[in-house]
Amino acid sequence: MKVIAGLLCSLLAGALAAAPVELVSLRLEPAQAALRGRGASQQFVAMGRLADGSEIDVTGEALFAVRDQAIATLRERGRVFASADGATQLTVTAAGKTAQANLAISKSDETKPFSFGRDIGEILTRRGCNSSRCHGGVKGQAGFKLSDNAIHAREDYRWIVDGGVFQVLSSESGGPLKPRIDKAAPEQSLLLRKATMEAPHGGGRRFPKDSDDYLAILAWVRNGAPFGATAGGEAAGAEGAKVVKLETFPREIVLPAERKQRILVTARFSDGHTEDFTHRVLYTASDNAIARVSGVGEVETRGAGEAAILIKAAGRSVRVGVGVTGPPVPNYPKTASHNFIDDEVFAKLRRFQIVPSGLASDAEFVRRVALDIAGRIPPPERVRAFVADRDPRKRAKLIDALLDSPEYVDYWTFRLSDLFRVSIFPVGINPKWTQQYSEWIREAVEQDRPFSEVARERIAAQGYSASSRHYLPYLVIPPAENMMGEQVRVFLGRRLDCAQCHDHPYEEWTQDQFWGLTAFFGPMFKLGGNPDSVIFDFPQGKEVAADVPTPTPLGVFHPRTKQKVQPMLLDGKVLPFEKTEFPRAELATWMTAHPYFAEAAVNRLWSNFFGRGLVNPVDDFRSTNPPSHPELLAKLAAEFTRGGFRSKNIIRLIANSRAYQLASTPTPSNTADRINYSHALPRALDAEILLDAIGDVTGVRDRHTVGTNRGEWRGGKTPLGTRAVELKESDIYPSPFFDAYGRPNRYSVPERDVSPKLAQALHQWAGTTYNNRLWGPGSRAQRLVEIGAPNVRIVEEFYMAAFARPPSAAESAALDKIITAAPQREQAIQDMVWAIINSREFAENH
Amino acid sequence: MFQTTRTLSRRDYLRAGSLGFFGLDLARALAAASPAKAKSCILIWLEGGPAQMDTFDPKPNSSFRPIATNVAGIQVSELLPQLAKRMDRLALIRSMSSFGDDHPQAVHYAATGHLHNPAMQFPSLGSIVGKEKGPRNGMPAYAIVPKFEGGRQYEDYFRSAFLGADYDPMLVPDPAKGNFEVPDMGLPKSVTTAAIDSRQEFRKIIEQEYRARVASAEHSKVDSFQKKALEMLLTPGVREAFDLSKESDKTRDTYGRDSVGQSLLLARRMVEAGTRFVTAAGYHGSSWDTHSDNDRLHRDRLTPPLDRGLSALLDDLVARGLYDETIVIAMGEFGRTPHINPGLGRDHWPKCWSLAIGGGGLRVGQAVGKSDERAANVIDRKTSIGDLFATVYKAMGIDWHQEYMTPVGRPIKIANSFEDSTGEPVRELFG
Repeated sequence: MKVIAGLLCSLLAGALAAAPVELVSLRLEPAQAALRGRGASQQFVAMGRLADGSEIDVTGEALFAVRDQAIATLRERGRVFASADGATQLTVTAAGKTAQANLAISKSDETKPFSFGRDIGEILTRRGCNSSRCHGGVKGQAGFKLSDNAIHAREDYRWIVDGGVFQVLSSESGGPLKPRIDKAAPEQSLLLRKATMEAPHGGGRRFPKDSDDYLAILAWVRNGAPFGATAGGEAAGAEGAKVVKLETFPREIVLPAERKQRILVTARFSDGHTEDFTHRVLYTASDNAIARVSGVGEVETRGAGEAAILIKAAGRSVRVGVGVTGPPVPNYPKTASHNFIDDEVFAKLRRFQIVPSGLASDAEFVRRVALDIAGRIPPPERVRAFVADRDPRKRAKLIDALLDSPEYVDYWTFRLSDLFRVSIFPVGINPKWTQQYSEWIREAVEQDRPFSEVARERIAAQGYSASSRHYLPYLVIPPAENMMGEQVRVFLGRRLDCAQCHDHPYEEWTQDQFWGLTAFFGPMFKLGGNPDSVIFDFPQGKEVAADVPTPTPLGVFHPRTKQKVQPMLLDGKVLPFEKTEFPRAELATWMTAHPYFAEAAVNRLWSNFFGRGLVNPVDDFRSTNPPSHPELLAKLAAEFTRGGFRSKNIIRLIANSRAYQLASTPTPSNTADRINYSHALPRALDAEILLDAIGDVTGVRDRHTVGTNRGEWRGGKTPLGTRAVELKESDIYPSPFFDAYGRPNRYSVPERDVSPKLAQALHQWAGTTYNNRLWGPGSRAQRLVEIGAPNVRIVEEFYMAAFARPPSAAESAALDKIITAAPQREQAIQDMVWAIINSREFAENH
Repeated sequence: MFQTTRTLSRRDYLRAGSLGFFGLDLARALAAASPAKAKSCILIWLEGGPAQMDTFDPKPNSSFRPIATNVAGIQVSELLPQLAKRMDRLALIRSMSSFGDDHPQAVHYAATGHLHNPAMQFPSLGSIVGKEKGPRNGMPAYAIVPKFEGGRQYEDYFRSAFLGADYDPMLVPDPAKGNFEVPDMGLPKSVTTAAIDSRQEFRKIIEQEYRARVASAEHSKVDSFQKKALEMLLTPGVREAFDLSKESDKTRDTYGRDSVGQSLLLARRMVEAGTRFVTAAGYHGSSWDTHSDNDRLHRDRLTPPLDRGLSALLDDLVARGLYDETIVIAMGEFGRTPHINPGLGRDHWPKCWSLAIGGGGLRVGQAVGKSDERAANVIDRKTSIGDLFATVYKAMGIDWHQEYMTPVGRPIKIANSFEDSTGEPVRELFG
């Protein structure tokens, strides 16, 4: 504590000598460096180890020296520049400790051939010119378009050197071509005059006249504005090799507030070599209240929370998570681990000094797990038996019993029906087909079929009529891009849709990748009309039969180039139509073998138990929306894959983890935590589950009226005892309850919205679901009154049924008092039942 | 601490990028300054898509003759005789052009101004107006009358999307039905004042332990909706707005006893009571989708309720002094083909169609835009859904240049026009 506080003072004062810092050891990052080419440089960070094992950045206070100054020189703090070929050492000293790094300098007289993409692109990225808000936006800005993060150097070159007015969805210029540089009078180049605000510029001054960036662009124009080295294609790096990845040190920053840490950025090239990019990237902090970052990667932590530093260069991006921890917790407790989930969750909580809540009581656990695995509140007798059971393995046994229950099948069929969109579509879909599709899902759940198999069937669905069995919407072939977007979202957890019209603003997804993937769905062909149609892939586009007209060219056409697109996997592999009879099957095999597949699947399963995904929203995996627990996600995905993609394996693991079984009562240090699983968070029950629970608690069940997708009422009702969770598509059941609580939206995402609504409150006060079930033959309330149960017994029975716990003595006494004082006992009991089924403790899983 | 999940949104990124101000443009500054008279809007939803040449844009390729209106130089189809006498209360836009060859895509586009995208939802015009103007007098800000029964695909297109439940439409049943009653708008007899108190008292005790232990932002939201619900249930004016028995039989007959007429009558009661936007959707089930028997259906089934209902609404609004503060729009999701198909029907035609708009302080008694001799192509003043939205916004004093940010940081224009540009108010309708 003292050491840290002292160090803090010293960092702020910038005088290490005066501070009582005691370092156990000191090291340099990187531990050695190879500098290649004229002017090459390397930034170093000096990391000091404290007695408690943690490391701090002492670069700002350390003394650096290069042994042989003829070979390399220090020009900025910790930054070494190449001078002549040879080997030497960098030495650093801080708080009495010393560390060294070997330097190897080669080709110091060799200048890299100029590359527009690398050299000018870097400036356009670093100065924010090509950011998505400015010229890197979908439409560019003021007719001038640059590719976000200089990903398309050729096109950037064209808009600068040839000029022209950019138009969306066309590669033509929308106006006369007017170059944005002036080769005759380079200083008069619009590019420079705008960036320096000599000419009015909406984006303000990006750099001053005579700055290095200004001079670099000016020199380029004076040289005739060449495109330069292209061997490595766009976004080319040294010698034509392409930057394939940006790596950082550290990969994550976890520090208390008001501390500093420098980030080092290393670019890895396609030929295997690396270069220091620390000074060649754009740094952006996601939340300045949590951490700030300077233009050269110095991070300063501010307020507690989690944020990120986004780093962009050369068409690539990387992110460094910053966790700013709260005050240290004295005597941080040790928490027992049930399985690897707990190892990961509790390790992170410890790092952030958040103390997890204790284990949930048996009563709390049994309600939670029964709702999460089987979609039901356990009946009072089951709760009592479970609480009384002395078996130390009773929780694991209960989980197994729930996984084997028929309710599990009902509940997970219902869950999967949301994701797979079991719905009546207004255009030409027959409820019978919905039924078939739903049955296929039910079989998959019942048999715990490998999810990879299920996915392959859905992606590649084809056949006679029953194609609907695997993916209903295929009966009316929707636009190929919608089908692709859907399958990628469902099975890879990614949203490529932004890339439909433009390169994805956050990701490296490009428009070409989008349409390449879409092309797999291009040759889908439907022969015959509903209901007797057949759907299949028809990549060759030959005649089906003499009397069937050849379909108009099947396939997908790029919106900008207007060319027919060949199927291309996300990794760039092209599968030409000539070589495949059934493109979607190839895509399905590739998708389900991709690491994204298992990650997306376990993430969805996880969210069912915690109310949020490790990546959240669950279908929005992207580098700028990283998992809260990356290693945990990877381990769960590996486990899922190893176990043959069986969902029950993962559910069993999650439900048995201590992290899942924590109490919902917070500790002082975890009250505000919403993302690290330090305690159970309340989750509103889905409409169907809530409706069933109201029936279970009150003892009054309604039959569901059957309608049609045209809204006509047949007047029929479902058999008595049909639970809402079994309704295959709630759209065809007219119900004020569903109207108020929301039916699943199976047309677009998100599928469900459980947030509170005014219509619900109206329904609670005035609606039939809440007012017509409080009393009546067979109702729990009337039965209890009829057998002469005293008030306290009635209160207890309702508490057990609704909350799976007995009332506290205070609650029991207070409620008894109101009922006793009421002029009409039966009315008072009904009002109490109303209050119970309207409480949040009932309407939430916690 | 840690109360928020921080992922890098586009907005954060921009803020952090500190790219300077782009400055307020003149149009925007002027928009804020223009006087807005309209307080509410009634959208008469002609689901399925009317044939423009058989309604507002009569042409030789229609089987019906054009008739003169009370505005010199403007003719409409003979199928709209009542409206012809009230053309001084309406403006026609005959150069609408939109997207979507089939209903789902076209309805989505007309309701939101955006192309359908299964990966995200867009807020509808009604939700945006509800959000920008807010509720009045305890009335719901936005409603659909009647609600879509059964297949709810279209209903989703008329919702609030990422704006949240506060801006979803209230779903009202069909007021033309004999048993019409707005569910949950009146307390059942069993729920007396005493019962309300008793329920509240029980709830206080039952909620206490859990609320103290488990904190959630949702809880205060639930409480505020509970409070608002009771307020609505106990405010006589709100209940009364939904009570059509307060209208004379004569008035109800004038509007027409069908779904179209009664929905318009209820819409008028609702905007009078404070609702900002009503989608009067008496023509559900794609009624106007006349792929076969176009002429007979237009003549016998489709135009009469529109002609009668809209005329009654205009007269009623004028009589009650509400005309100048209520925008009225009659439109479908697209028009119909210039040619008649072998089944004597007309098919979908998004590239050129017509709508009627009036009230709300707009300049009426005029026809904006021109189509060719078969109403097949726009030849003058091509107008987008985004332009229409911008017109409504301007008339209501809403800045139509706004973009909303989705939860994943994608900016969404509230008046989205062609080629990702911002819609412009139809200038002829102002001043």
